[in-house]
Amino acid sequence: MTTAAVRRIASIAAPARIVPLLLAIAILVFLYYHAPHFFAVRNLINILVQMSSLGLLAIGMTLVMIGGGIDLSMPATMAFGAVLGAFYMRAGGNPAVAALITLVAVAAVGTINGIAAAWFKMTPFVVTLASMTAVGGATVWMTNSVSVSHFPDAFFNFYLARPFGVPVTVIILVVAALIASTVMSSTIFGRWLYAVGINARAARVARIPVERVLFATYLVSALLAGLTGVLLSARLGSASANIGNDGVVLDIVSACVVGGVSIYGGTGKPLGAVFGAFFITLISNSLNQLGVSYFMNLVVKGIVIIAFIYLDKLARREP
Amino acid sequence: MSESLGPLLQLNAITKKFGATTALDAASFEGHAGEVHALMGANGAGKSTLMNVLGGVVPMDAGEIIISGSPVQIRSPHESKALGIAFVHQELNMLPTMTVAENVFIDALPQYGGLVDRDRMRKGAAELLERLGSRFSPEQPVEELSTGDRQMVEIARALARDPRIIIFDEPTSSLTDRERQRLFAIIRQLKQSGVAVIYITHFLDEIFHISDRVTVMRNGQTVGSSAIAAITPTEVVRLMLGEVERQERLREPHAAAGKPLLSVRGLTRRGVLHDIGFELYPGEIVGLWGLLGSGRTELVHALIGLDPIDSGELRIAADSEDRPITPKALHRQIGLVTEDRRGEGLLMPLSVVGNLSLASLSQLLSPLRLIDRRREQAFAEEIVARLKIKLNDPRQAVKTLSGGNQQKVVLGRWLATGPRLFILDEPTRGLDVAAKAEVLRLTTELATEGASILLISSELEDMMRVCDRYLVISRGRIVGELPGGADKNRLMEAVSGGHSTAAAA
Amino acid sequence: MKLSSLSLRAVLLDWGFVLVLCAIFVFFSLATAHFLEFGNMIAMLHTMASVVIISCGMAMVVMTGNLDISLGSIAFLSSSIGVLLMTRLGWNPVAAFSVTLLCGVAFGMLNGFIVVVLGINPLITTLGTMITLRGVGLELTQASVIPLPEGVRVLGNLAIGPIFVDILVMAAVLIAVHVLHRRTSFGRQINAIGNGAEVAARIGLPVGRLVFLDFVLAGFLASIGGIVALLQVGSLSAYLGAGLEFTAVAVVVVGGVSLFGGRGSIIPGVLLGALTFQLIVNGLTQMSANPYVYKLITGLVIFLAMYVDALKVGRIHAPPAAEAVEDEPA
Repeated sequence: MTTAAVRRIASIAAPARIVPLLLAIAILVFLYYHAPHFFAVRNLINILVQMSSLGLLAIGMTLVMIGGGIDLSMPATMAFGAVLGAFYMRAGGNPAVAALITLVAVAAVGTINGIAAAWFKMTPFVVTLASMTAVGGATVWMTNSVSVSHFPDAFFNFYLARPFGVPVTVIILVVAALIASTVMSSTIFGRWLYAVGINARAARVARIPVERVLFATYLVSALLAGLTGVLLSARLGSASANIGNDGVVLDIVSACVVGGVSIYGGTGKPLGAVFGAFFITLISNSLNQLGVSYFMNLVVKGIVIIAFIYLDKLARREP
Repeated sequence: MSESLGPLLQLNAITKKFGATTALDAASFEGHAGEVHALMGANGAGKSTLMNVLGGVVPMDAGEIIISGSPVQIRSPHESKALGIAFVHQELNMLPTMTVAENVFIDALPQYGGLVDRDRMRKGAAELLERLGSRFSPEQPVEELSTGDRQMVEIARALARDPRIIIFDEPTSSLTDRERQRLFAIIRQLKQSGVAVIYITHFLDEIFHISDRVTVMRNGQTVGSSAIAAITPTEVVRLMLGEVERQERLREPHAAAGKPLLSVRGLTRRGVLHDIGFELYPGEIVGLWGLLGSGRTELVHALIGLDPIDSGELRIAADSEDRPITPKALHRQIGLVTEDRRGEGLLMPLSVVGNLSLASLSQLLSPLRLIDRRREQAFAEEIVARLKIKLNDPRQAVKTLSGGNQQKVVLGRWLATGPRLFILDEPTRGLDVAAKAEVLRLTTELATEGASILLISSELEDMMRVCDRYLVISRGRIVGELPGGADKNRLMEAVSGGHSTAAAA
Repeated sequence: MKLSSLSLRAVLLDWGFVLVLCAIFVFFSLATAHFLEFGNMIAMLHTMASVVIISCGMAMVVMTGNLDISLGSIAFLSSSIGVLLMTRLGWNPVAAFSVTLLCGVAFGMLNGFIVVVLGINPLITTLGTMITLRGVGLELTQASVIPLPEGVRVLGNLAIGPIFVDILVMAAVLIAVHVLHRRTSFGRQINAIGNGAEVAARIGLPVGRLVFLDFVLAGFLASIGGIVALLQVGSLSAYLGAGLEFTAVAVVVVGGVSLFGGRGSIIPGVLLGALTFQLIVNGLTQMSANPYVYKLITGLVIFLAMYVDALKVGRIHAPPAAEAVEDEPA
């Protein structure tokens, strides 16, 4: 298949978001026939819960990516914040205060990332790679690689509640998605962020405070990571450094790329990323149902990322 | 001169189109060995493109290239070099962390037994540097060298291949006087050794100083070629700019009155701008008139803080008195329209509405502090109507508009912010006649409404239709002021007259 | 028109890492009992051999201004394949390890292909291959620990006199890559790309081909490093090479190789960078510090080194380039 032919297909299927949608439908149909218990309400709710953490993280990453950057430290930050909060609760503290501690901790990481990337103009990839290593290392060190549990019941009662049968974490995801969507489509900040991602120089000429906008994205992504950390520790019953392992970063980037967020910046929507998170979770889940190992899971995702970025690149190249 | 041997190089009827734009229209050029041949033309005239064809950077659509009597094909820089053509580009291609010797030989490193032969490299570089009269060591890292010295390295790299033809593209733009003289001495040397030197520039005085022939291009065509001794600077300018038709003035020259909106004193940036001072009054259009390289763009960048300045004072009228203002603060109050629509003016993938509203979003909010789409649409439509922007739907992406309409979008965006001062830097570049007229008309409307406008353009006929007065700039200095009614001869002389006194050593 | 500034600032930035190295050395010598012993020194060099080898590959990639974070995974997967050939198919070590080296080359080619031919950002590419290749390796080995066959295991402790063979391998690689970088056309042109890929292309250098070969080289060196690490441990574990790429980045940056490309050296750069890290780890172990501090320290050091790197190359509020422009005659 020549490049020209592939390019034509890519532009016909443009936006490349049609492809994941079609694939998702195909997978669902396949599952319907081969693994019908997939569609049991229990399982569906499970899927939603599973994807809620990825979805929240993907929303955060979307903002950063639209601005033209990337935040590899999100999972590590998530684990860091969760662990700190967990320590506090284990020592008998109030869950609400614990959540606050988490947020402050992750905000600190986000601030460092933001200042380095926005004002010092260091490459976001390397900046967040460094903070990922440092923060991840700090978490492993603090916990001695042991997970932290023994949370007060109040903690579980709140985060695992199911008002009207819908888990709290799903509600939070929906709320976050709506807020992010509204911000990106209808606020000044959203417009500014798209502008910066499209062409930072032109944005500056248009009197947009480029640095402040970029800084904000790293702060928000860190805060969302913190939020996700809290929800995840409630679901798992413990917090550990492992919740932020390498595979998570790949998942987040995959979700965003599949959801139509370009790594080159300037395009993408939070809702797209949420769909991407759904898609990735769907793939993981179906692969599991089909008995494919966790490791092959990783392989598939790696290939998915490269394939989608390549398609995105092709689609962009047309004038 | 070796004209008896016939031309070393002939470019015949070279045509090149980039999409819908014709960059070269059957352009021709002849170069002789041992002769310095200047190639002149305004920006966009095609001189760089023609040389890029010769240098293998750009393929031609039609035409032929003949070297030493034989037709040749040049499809890549590699083939060009193989034919003995060396190209010293305007933007130096330097590798700053590497040594001079490495920079000179990087594409053809001398080898011995699989390893780079450092001795040969060093000696080779030293020889070339000596030929060029440069005293720095071949082992020095290029990042420690001044621009002029780096250019010597670039020339050395070109000479390393013993070329028969050397092209210099705007070599003196960032040189000091002394470095310029050194370059001229080298060019004379090259001429004496039988090399054909092609010298692209827009500095008039230089070509009369150094070259034997001059060829002028305009709009992709070769409009004239002559021995230097047989032509005057003013004639060259005339060839470059073409017949300036006296077109209808859109507005009679307006005499400035009252207090100045902006006063500039002593604006200096070492090597670029010297003691610039002027005033802008409300309601007037001032044309900043000068050829390329005169410092016009640098002045604009300095005024709005995109480039640093060494000294100078800006004062702006505020309420009933004037107070000092920094360039960056001034930027926030100015409507800036540049020729670089794609790079700085607009966000191409964004809609027309999005681009128009970008600087005025805070005025378009609903009570919930969200952007009110309907208000935004109305806002955009109003501007579109007022500026007569041609489009199907304001929501279409701005990149689908024609150049002229894109320019109007840029203007429209700033219009909405109601600035008192506009800087228009080549606003009509690349626009067709009708679009030009509209942009100019808008400009006069803005002035009539009380704004101050600083207009920079190399298209004299445009300036002559709207300017109330001219500031003539040359080599980073304001060398004169002319009234709006000045005729084209006076204007051309003002800008070439400043050049006919060759820069004394 | 030379830079007359041998200002304190410039000296510190260029040679600061040597000072840091000395400071660390002194600190640990004083703080612990056995630090300065010959046996300890040799043990240190022995342990850092694989890091150094992989860092040489990383350094060559960084010289072009790119980054390859899949090196640890390449080391792991290629070693896994070699080990499995030996344990499951009974191949002899020479053949098996030859395949390992070939794998290193192949995975390097994979990276090169995606970056150069498909044109995808090298950061994302190597992120993808990092996780994918490790995934394949984990799948093949089922994440289990596979001990090496008896005869092979001995190789890990092979020594000539008091010096372990792998220290010699490390030295050989260091010298070879150093010479490659400094004295061959390939190395010089790789350095040129780091100065500016567009400039290099305009000069006429075959940038695509060079970058591709660069990734192949890095992959090859990673597989060598993997073998060394494997032999030292005596068995294959799922953790082989994990996190090694980050250590390699840290080593490279601390050793003065700029992430922006075109600056730095293999000798002494990579060597000193690796020594710095090894000293820190070794010292901390001697102090019986918590082993988990290691990753934290690595991250902090990367961050600091990057900051210094950015300062050096002048991206953050640096003084204007000291190009001496001569005064215009009045």
